[in-house]
Amino acid sequence: MVKLEEYNILVIDENPDRAAIVERGLVESGYARVSRIGTSHNLVARIQALAPDIIIIDLENPDRDTLEQMFQVSRAIARPIAMFVDQSDASMIQEAVSAGVSAYVVDGLRQDRIRPIVDMAISRFNAFDQLRRERDEAQAKLSERKLIERAKGLLMKEKGLSEEESYNLLRKNAMKQNRKIYEIAQSVITAFQLEF
Amino acid sequence: MANRVRLGFVPLVDCAIPVVARAMGFAARENIELELVRELSWAAIRDKLSFGVFDAAHMLAGIPIAGRLGLGGLPVQNIVVPMALGRGGNAITVSTPLYQRMLKADPYAMMGPRGLSARALRKVIDEDKAAGRPVLSFATVFPFSSHNYELRYWMAAAGIDPDQDVNIGVIAPPRMFDSLRNGWVDGYCVGEPWNQRAVFHGDGVIVALKDDIWPRSPEKVLGLREDWVQNNRDVVAALVRALVRAAEWADQPGNRLELAHILSEEANVGAPFEVLKASLCGRPVLRPGEPPVEMPDRHVFYRYTATFPWLSQGRWLGEQMKRWGQIPGDVNLDRVIPDVYRPDLYRMAVAGLDVLVPQNDSRIEGAADAPDRSLVGPDRFLDDSVFGYRDGLS
Repeated sequence: MVKLEEYNILVIDENPDRAAIVERGLVESGYARVSRIGTSHNLVARIQALAPDIIIIDLENPDRDTLEQMFQVSRAIARPIAMFVDQSDASMIQEAVSAGVSAYVVDGLRQDRIRPIVDMAISRFNAFDQLRRERDEAQAKLSERKLIERAKGLLMKEKGLSEEESYNLLRKNAMKQNRKIYEIAQSVITAFQLEF
Repeated sequence: MANRVRLGFVPLVDCAIPVVARAMGFAARENIELELVRELSWAAIRDKLSFGVFDAAHMLAGIPIAGRLGLGGLPVQNIVVPMALGRGGNAITVSTPLYQRMLKADPYAMMGPRGLSARALRKVIDEDKAAGRPVLSFATVFPFSSHNYELRYWMAAAGIDPDQDVNIGVIAPPRMFDSLRNGWVDGYCVGEPWNQRAVFHGDGVIVALKDDIWPRSPEKVLGLREDWVQNNRDVVAALVRALVRAAEWADQPGNRLELAHILSEEANVGAPFEVLKASLCGRPVLRPGEPPVEMPDRHVFYRYTATFPWLSQGRWLGEQMKRWGQIPGDVNLDRVIPDVYRPDLYRMAVAGLDVLVPQNDSRIEGAADAPDRSLVGPDRFLDDSVFGYRDGLS
């Protein structure tokens, strides 16, 4: 019986940040032999050298087409690898597909041994997505605040209003037009740009 | 309310039919809200269709057959094909250094019909063998792609054993061009614009076009999940009609420039307009710096029954899978192909429209005297072989 930590897991991801959090998740759960590679033209040779039991790869990664050919010609690698999709486990397939995870395993590896690994990848992919969304939102917020600052500055300079009056003017118009303050700020900036 | 259909596609010239169906309003006219999703790999297209992320997909004609046979380490996937998405568009491109070697090894073969240009490649391979050099590397786009079968057909006809004499790997279409440029492969078979692009950049030379190997041969198809088809009969018919109308529009020479503009957009193919124009207007450039050649049938979307899912073509693909050892020789294709290729769905969808529909579901492929030759157009194999598959004759 192969112990957990003896599974040789390979994470292939063009996104090094996501690969790192998947790798860390697996290592923290007790899988000691985890490697990761980005995209590479000698993918086949590198996989042969690593001889993984399980490959976790982003569902949309174009390298999957290359991998599948390699598995077809199973003589090319030490052991035949089959895509892991056990039809009896429809819920996990759905979760994996919606998280964007796909996995390939050595043929014959037991389903109950694979599941925690794939589950970990799914949860890390989802966590990464969440982080990315939050970061995008934070960046958007930051640029919204900058727009409001600029509009306030223009109103103060061009209309002689105080900072508070400028802000109140933007807010009042936003409420009246049922729009966001930064949208009004954008209109103000555009309007001043038009004048010059 | 409009029926929403989510369709996945790969950035290639032959995604034109679904792209036009949306852009030119053919889908909307059939009350379909067509949502298009761009993907970079065939494995992603197949999986997202199979697991319900997509309702429909632009796919390689061999994928639904492979899916039905449970190939590629996957469970059986029931994808059906109600129509084809055009013909043509592939080519075999080799790196400029390999082209120079082929030219030197056999200048006569390189002047003759392009379908036989592999004879020069064979001489290069013989030279390498004698000198103990490593084998050349080629790439196609997927194990079950027409590209894989075309490249092998072209090589085998010249006496090259594709499994022994060269290395054939797989690279997703959008990555082909960089792989050739960086010297990771010596040649490839891919759909446009990825050949024309290598020529325009001076990195490669086109040595054979799809039509030099077998014109009118199967290429991309519309893939749908069988259960989705059963539950959405009317939507399937409307979708097929919209796509057939889009194909008709895309086939008009007068619309090809506009089509090149539409496809050049980043959300569609995202390749330079000039590259797409050369290919779509039937004037491909085969060698860097040379004038284009006249190939009006380089891309066929509608004429020559280009949208009809011929059973005989599905059968030919199945035979190629046998030929190259992807499936055992005793697989009964007569049982498999009619479950996958569904001309009945096509006929039902276009019934009553002014669309030319063949009388039979199968034909004799490649025969100069086939009764439906005028309907299908020239379809000569490079080695004059004839592929007979006559069941379904009335």
